[in-house]
Amino acid sequence: MMKLSNIHKTYGNGALQIAVLKDINLTIEPGEFVAIMGPSGSGKSTLMNIIGFLDYPSSGNYELNGEMISSFKEKQLAQLRNQHIGFVFQQFFLLPRIPAVKNVETPLIYAGVSKRERRQKAQQMLEKVGLEDRIKHLPNQLSGGQKQRVAIARALVNDPSVIMADEPTGALDSKTSEQIMELFVQLNEEGKTVILVTHEEEVAAHAKRVITIRDGMITDDRRQDA
Amino acid sequence: MNIVESFKIAFSSIWNHKIRSILTMLGIIIGVAAVIIIVAIGQGAQSMMTDELFAVDKNVIELYYEQDFSDEEGMMGDFYYEEPEITQEDIQILQALPDIRSVIATNSAWGSVTYNDKNAEPEITGVSSEYFSAQSIEVLEGRPINNRDNNGMNRVAMIDTVAREKLFKENEDPLGAIISLDDNPYKVVGVYNSPIPEQFRWSEGGEMLMPRSVIALMYGSREVDRLAVIANDSERIAETGWLAADTLTEHKQLENGSYTTYDLSEIENEINQMVLIMTLFIGSIAGISLLVGGIGVMNIMLVSVSERTREIGLRKALGATRGKILFQFLIESITLTSLGGLIGIGFASATAGLITLLSPIDAMVSPIVILIGVGFSAFIGIIFGILPANKASKLSPIDALRYE
Repeated sequence: MMKLSNIHKTYGNGALQIAVLKDINLTIEPGEFVAIMGPSGSGKSTLMNIIGFLDYPSSGNYELNGEMISSFKEKQLAQLRNQHIGFVFQQFFLLPRIPAVKNVETPLIYAGVSKRERRQKAQQMLEKVGLEDRIKHLPNQLSGGQKQRVAIARALVNDPSVIMADEPTGALDSKTSEQIMELFVQLNEEGKTVILVTHEEEVAAHAKRVITIRDGMITDDRRQDA
Repeated sequence: MNIVESFKIAFSSIWNHKIRSILTMLGIIIGVAAVIIIVAIGQGAQSMMTDELFAVDKNVIELYYEQDFSDEEGMMGDFYYEEPEITQEDIQILQALPDIRSVIATNSAWGSVTYNDKNAEPEITGVSSEYFSAQSIEVLEGRPINNRDNNGMNRVAMIDTVAREKLFKENEDPLGAIISLDDNPYKVVGVYNSPIPEQFRWSEGGEMLMPRSVIALMYGSREVDRLAVIANDSERIAETGWLAADTLTEHKQLENGSYTTYDLSEIENEINQMVLIMTLFIGSIAGISLLVGGIGVMNIMLVSVSERTREIGLRKALGATRGKILFQFLIESITLTSLGGLIGIGFASATAGLITLLSPIDAMVSPIVILIGVGFSAFIGIIFGILPANKASKLSPIDALRYE
């Protein structure tokens, strides 16, 4: 369970201080499928980064399964990012010079998994996302949808409980977007918590819970049938 | 993440930027190569100089007679120099000293030797029978000069292999041949191998050994004009020299002078000192290029960090700790400089080989220098890699991911 209480995030200092998040209170239970929506500049990405331990709140409490994140050291946060969360980005962020399977292996390297096990798990994940015939391909030999599948395989490879996706379909055409979203739905059905940030209604429509954020504040939090 | 994995990442990153990597390494390559070559030449020159000075064994020490003269006589400029004769008895007394293995008592001459229509101008040494064991002379043909030759003033001579080549055809038997030295006939009784290392031999005329009594007679020289002792223990060479000199002075009851010696090891130390200072001086100038090379590495690593900001952000998002990022970049700069160091060593070894081949200096690249070379270039990698690696590791994951 992820519980955010009175989370504030401000950038800059003095007179130039900009409040990006204002008093966010939010609880996400395991197995939820949450879409965070809002116009650009609303603070939705910042919220996701804080939830995903990529960024720190300026104030407020963040509890993960009853533990206070603010007391965590850099090393523990890295471990959380490694074990607890799988990230998917709009721009895919694949390492360009290594093949798909190596990209998928990367989180396992930081988890200290042996080479053989790494290769095996990475291949399994690529099969899961339907890319068993693209294992040795370099990212630039893959289409956008395929790249995002590799990124999803990479997010899944360490078996995290939470998948976080920042505009995962933002760089894809609508047909491919649909396929990718189906993959997220499938992952959620398998028990993963899925949190995605989007500004597209069609994408948010797949989620079971939609949180709308505007000017750094949660303006709407509703559950829906996917 | 283990070391092997880090090295793999480092190598692929270097490989992916081949030209940049080579240009970056160039500073290190030149620096390491320059330092190693200079040290190699320095060591080679040092051993050449010492070899030349100490072509004889290190446990040989010469004795000299030094005459005292009062200031008055010196001012008048008419002092009379008289060196005492060394007799067979003196030699035996020295020989009896416990620290002395043997005594070398010789005189010398130059002359023109002819045999049939061939001639040579060998260096002639007058010896007695002890000379052969003292200098461990290898007699190849015939016999050595013995006591009978000296006592009986036999007109005999031994020639070394160089002189043999000058005077005789290969299939000609030199033994018993009568050669003519300055128009006087002598019989060749033996051929020997000169104890002087080949590169320092008198190649024009070779060498010849004759009974020293004969030389004294024929050339009007003293029977012994070079006196040296061979010490049992080369560590105590100076003490042995002084013991011999003092014993001789005392035995001969000299009043106007004394025997003295000087310690070649002091000169050797001075030469070594001088070469060391030169090597350090030039080496440190070459070391500056290592410093410049190191700065080049730092520069490129900084470029690499900003180029790969997003990669660093991604790796952090995927679970890389600060330590792992630091380690990865450090390994990369160490790999870069070590590789440069290795290439530099290869280059230096080739150059040293060429120098050895083309010049009299034996440029030696010792394993320890190679070890230091690699170690030092890796050290440069650490020193100049720390700053960029630290910069990389400190990037916040989200800022790094957002970096355009």
